[in-house]
Amino acid sequence: MMSLKNKLKRMKAHLSDKDTEQENNNQKTDDSPNNSEAIPYMSMWEENHVRPYWVDQEYCLIREVRYPLTFKQGRYELGECKRAVQAWENSSFNHPLSTKGHSIDDLFFFDTETTGLRGVGSTIFMLGYAQFTHDEVIVKQHILTHPGYEVPLYMSFLENVDYSTLVTYNGKSFDWPQVKSRHTLIRDHVPKLPETGHFDLYHASRRLWKHKMESVKLTEVEKHILKFERKDDLPGYLAPAIYFDFVERKHPEGIIKVLDHNEKDILSLISLYTHVTFQLLGQDSEQTSDEKVEAGKWYKAAGNHTASGSLLEQAYSDDLHNHSAAHSLAFFLKRRGDIQRSANLWLKVCENGSAREKREAAIELAKYYEHQDKNTAAAIQYTQKAREALLEDENLKPSARKNEMAKIHHRLQRLNRK
Amino acid sequence: MRKKSLADLVDYFKTDENVQQQIVKWHTIEPVKAAYSRIPESVHPKLVQALQAKGIGELYSHQEEAYKNVMEGFSVTAITPTASGKTLCYNLPVVQTILQNSSARALYLFPTKALAQDQKTELNEWLDLADASINCYTYDGDTPAAIRQKVRKAGQIVITNPDMLHSAILPHHTKWVSLFENLQYIVLDELHIYRGVFGSHVANVIRRLKRICEFYGSSPQFICTSATIANPKELAEGLTGEEMKLISKNGAPSAKKHFVFYNPPIVNQQLNIRRSATLEVRKLAGILLKQKIQTIIFAKSRVRVEIILSYLQELVINELGPKSIQGYRGGYLPTQRREIEKGLRNGDIYGVVSTNALELGVDIGQLQACIMTGYPGTIASAWQQAGRAGRRQGEALILMVASSSPLDQYVIKHPEYFLETSPETARINPDNLVILLDHLKCAAFELPFTLGESFGEHDLEELLDYLVDERVLHRSSNKWYWMNDAFPAHNISLRSASQENVIIIDQTERAHSKVIGEMDRFSAMTLLHDEAIYLHQGIQFQVEYLDWDEKKAYVREVDIDYFTDANLAVSLAVLEEDKSKETEQAIVSFGDVSVRAMATIFKKIKFDTHENIGSGPIHLPEEELHTSSTWFTLKAELHELTEDRIEQGLIGAAHAMQSIIPLHVMCDPQDIQIVPQVKATHNQLPTLFVYDRYPGGIGLSENVFKIGSTIMNEASEMIKSCHCSVGCPSCIGTDPQGIEAKSDTIKLINLFFTAIEGENDESKK
Repeated sequence: MMSLKNKLKRMKAHLSDKDTEQENNNQKTDDSPNNSEAIPYMSMWEENHVRPYWVDQEYCLIREVRYPLTFKQGRYELGECKRAVQAWENSSFNHPLSTKGHSIDDLFFFDTETTGLRGVGSTIFMLGYAQFTHDEVIVKQHILTHPGYEVPLYMSFLENVDYSTLVTYNGKSFDWPQVKSRHTLIRDHVPKLPETGHFDLYHASRRLWKHKMESVKLTEVEKHILKFERKDDLPGYLAPAIYFDFVERKHPEGIIKVLDHNEKDILSLISLYTHVTFQLLGQDSEQTSDEKVEAGKWYKAAGNHTASGSLLEQAYSDDLHNHSAAHSLAFFLKRRGDIQRSANLWLKVCENGSAREKREAAIELAKYYEHQDKNTAAAIQYTQKAREALLEDENLKPSARKNEMAKIHHRLQRLNRK
Repeated sequence: MRKKSLADLVDYFKTDENVQQQIVKWHTIEPVKAAYSRIPESVHPKLVQALQAKGIGELYSHQEEAYKNVMEGFSVTAITPTASGKTLCYNLPVVQTILQNSSARALYLFPTKALAQDQKTELNEWLDLADASINCYTYDGDTPAAIRQKVRKAGQIVITNPDMLHSAILPHHTKWVSLFENLQYIVLDELHIYRGVFGSHVANVIRRLKRICEFYGSSPQFICTSATIANPKELAEGLTGEEMKLISKNGAPSAKKHFVFYNPPIVNQQLNIRRSATLEVRKLAGILLKQKIQTIIFAKSRVRVEIILSYLQELVINELGPKSIQGYRGGYLPTQRREIEKGLRNGDIYGVVSTNALELGVDIGQLQACIMTGYPGTIASAWQQAGRAGRRQGEALILMVASSSPLDQYVIKHPEYFLETSPETARINPDNLVILLDHLKCAAFELPFTLGESFGEHDLEELLDYLVDERVLHRSSNKWYWMNDAFPAHNISLRSASQENVIIIDQTERAHSKVIGEMDRFSAMTLLHDEAIYLHQGIQFQVEYLDWDEKKAYVREVDIDYFTDANLAVSLAVLEEDKSKETEQAIVSFGDVSVRAMATIFKKIKFDTHENIGSGPIHLPEEELHTSSTWFTLKAELHELTEDRIEQGLIGAAHAMQSIIPLHVMCDPQDIQIVPQVKATHNQLPTLFVYDRYPGGIGLSENVFKIGSTIMNEASEMIKSCHCSVGCPSCIGTDPQGIEAKSDTIKLINLFFTAIEGENDESKK
């Protein structure tokens, strides 16, 4: 019989698939050190503020770096985050991202590096976070030194941290579920994961800036919003390959680059939280009228209409030609009972807004004339205007267009019967 | 005029002269009475109540036997023909267990989403009757994201399919902790579907499943149900790796059945061509449907279904109205299917034309008559189809209408083959290296491997180290860890016969181009090359561009009067011979071969006249396939035979075997390939290669080596029993080039037969 190895060799063409194919220059190393002297390149690690953490014969590495509150990440100093927390405390606005009732050291700015994008087999090899003390920011990063050493990684992570709210970038759907998944595999050996609050700034960025940015990737937000450009930064997609190499060779060089990358992500979370807070509280002097509209809409979605109205009023008074501000404000005013003013705003929107805004404004005006003004002719006229706007609207999906058209048609029929 | 009853029609078929002439065999199966057992004492009162609400006061013996064995802790496999109440075999013990212990969990696997949906509906109905609040959910691609979390955490019975288990559940097992920690039962329904490549994949998915259960500390029992096949216990044990108790005695009653073998009349004596089976089915089904006899008509392809359907709707439009006859096949929307099933159950629909989609356990009630358009290909599936007819009271009529294909003609002339032979054996080869390594990757992704673990029959350490060399895993002393950024399950399809299939993209409408199918690489070379005419659901498409690197074929709908036929130059090299048997005149060997294939040119052939109206070159690289093969070599100089005659004989033998082999090794005809060569490369002798069309082989040609004498015997019988005198396209596949073609073919087959029968078995090490 053919040996298994020969068979494997012969069938290689059928066996390798694109995703796992890599050049074959593998060298095996014995990689199970059992005391601190055996940790490879320890002196190099130490130069980089990294120390080991042992559980029995297994260890992880932890880097700890402290930053002064005056350290500047983009347009903000780290310490300005304290002002942000204070601002929530002083504000009457209620919002999902508000820290009211919390102090700054309850916030836990958190980011991971992983070997893949989904599934149990995607290992987290770096857990990084920042916390405030009264005079500095401490950044700690825990490194998985060996695929089998997850117990010290999570043990050190869980006993070192004490926090009530995570601040992440897309951590709600990625980082934290991944932590839960890997934790499940070793749950008999480590403490439980705590329940926490969670501020996901990815969702915040989408809410606030999607209107002007194609992608709200963290690096894009840094560049366009925080005015901060990374230099010599490692592209995130290279991290898994660097980690695989580290597992083989143990040399810290690549991993240190990943540490730096991860640290930048975390520090940016601090600046970003500061900035998002100032925008939500209308305390950013450079906030555009459009940004105020988006903030106002977010409050509305969160059920806080007072705050929403306040930001929309600001947005409109900042720029009387901002039709989306006028449009959103009109909805707010209508809800508050200020029918006349909302109708006036819609009259403007109906002439100058986007196709969707024109349509919605025209429908609102049709309602106004039908019910308030009892002017059926005007109501019909505006319904027809809505129909024209619908035909102009190129962004609508065919099914939605059909649906809207049916509604308009129905309204016209009803009005015509009057 | 009074409508005729089925009994009247049975008489009519028996006595009408025209019909009678074409009936080759009339086989009557006497009714079988039910074998009952009392509902066991231990069954929960709520379940007894539900059974009574359904009018069930006693169980069929097989249901009771399954219940008892499962409750005693055994894994079981029950043989359950169509409509024998198989769902109780698993629902009874599963629901009983959950009623006793609400934390217990069960996972149901069905081969298709549609079956899973049916099951959920049926099970929920039971649970309502039993007044039992048990959470039972389906989990598949259609499950809304909003309830997925609930299914994972709180589903006590989770109903899914192997593909979903493979790509969505196992790779995310940490989200399913409460299922895996408490998993007590795994139900595998329609076990016989899990054969060949698909079965080999599923066996590995189950290995992964068991590995994860072990991690979470559970060791579930398996409850399997299967149609009648020759080796249900062996198949179940191969798939699950567990010892099985076989429950083969079925207690369900069956009606009196008339099984009629019908051969259409010959319309061309010279070419031995018979009237089309489709037209005969139109006639026969029309007779039944006009009398409002509820009838199911099976056809082999989707296109055939549509053709027969339109014939029948036209035929009875005045008597019944078009809605009363429906088609049923893959590609119909689920809601549409549900409506048809309901219509059949409540009698609104009289006739249904279906592909084998309705062979599976979809509940459509029992019909009165069944017509098969041609032999379905396997004995097991013919019985499944026949089982659709037969109500408790009264009788059932089953008509098998043969087509002109040699296999159909063989079966129709040897009804005893069908009626007396035990059904086919279902084979799997979970240790095929290509399949196994795919799943080893997935398994390592799910949990690291530890030295001493086993996964399949091969030396696991060697395989894992191979994956280390490939930079997929990392080894550290006695453990192997996943060390790659890929998601391995994503690239592995359980259903495709070859790993990288060519995707067929219809770009007739530029803005809405859509995928309409896929094809394995080997077939794509001759069927999807540039300018090829490709037929899909009866519609002609022309291939505009075959992107070989990306494995995509872009096609556009056309309406033209020709089809294309490509030449494939195939060369075969023997890599290693594992076993052989020989006589002085012939050798039969089994081993590994390399198949190299290259598409060369294609011809355009006009419909009807079959004129050659043009040709063109094909520019595609050579493809290589390493697989297992059984080859038959003619050793002796046969002086009386010229090379031409030997060639014709080999082609004839290949043609006959191509029909016979799938029948005996239970595979799709395209899973196996037969190539005759007058001078084989490795020995310069006339040789017939039979090989598996899957890298590494899946045990089909190995089985051919084992049962070669049966195959040769029947191939020879098939040719002999053909009515032609010197060979015809029906039996030897070509127009004979001389008066000896038929006898030469039989002669060669007999030589191979003697060799494989031969005592001097020299297994080589």
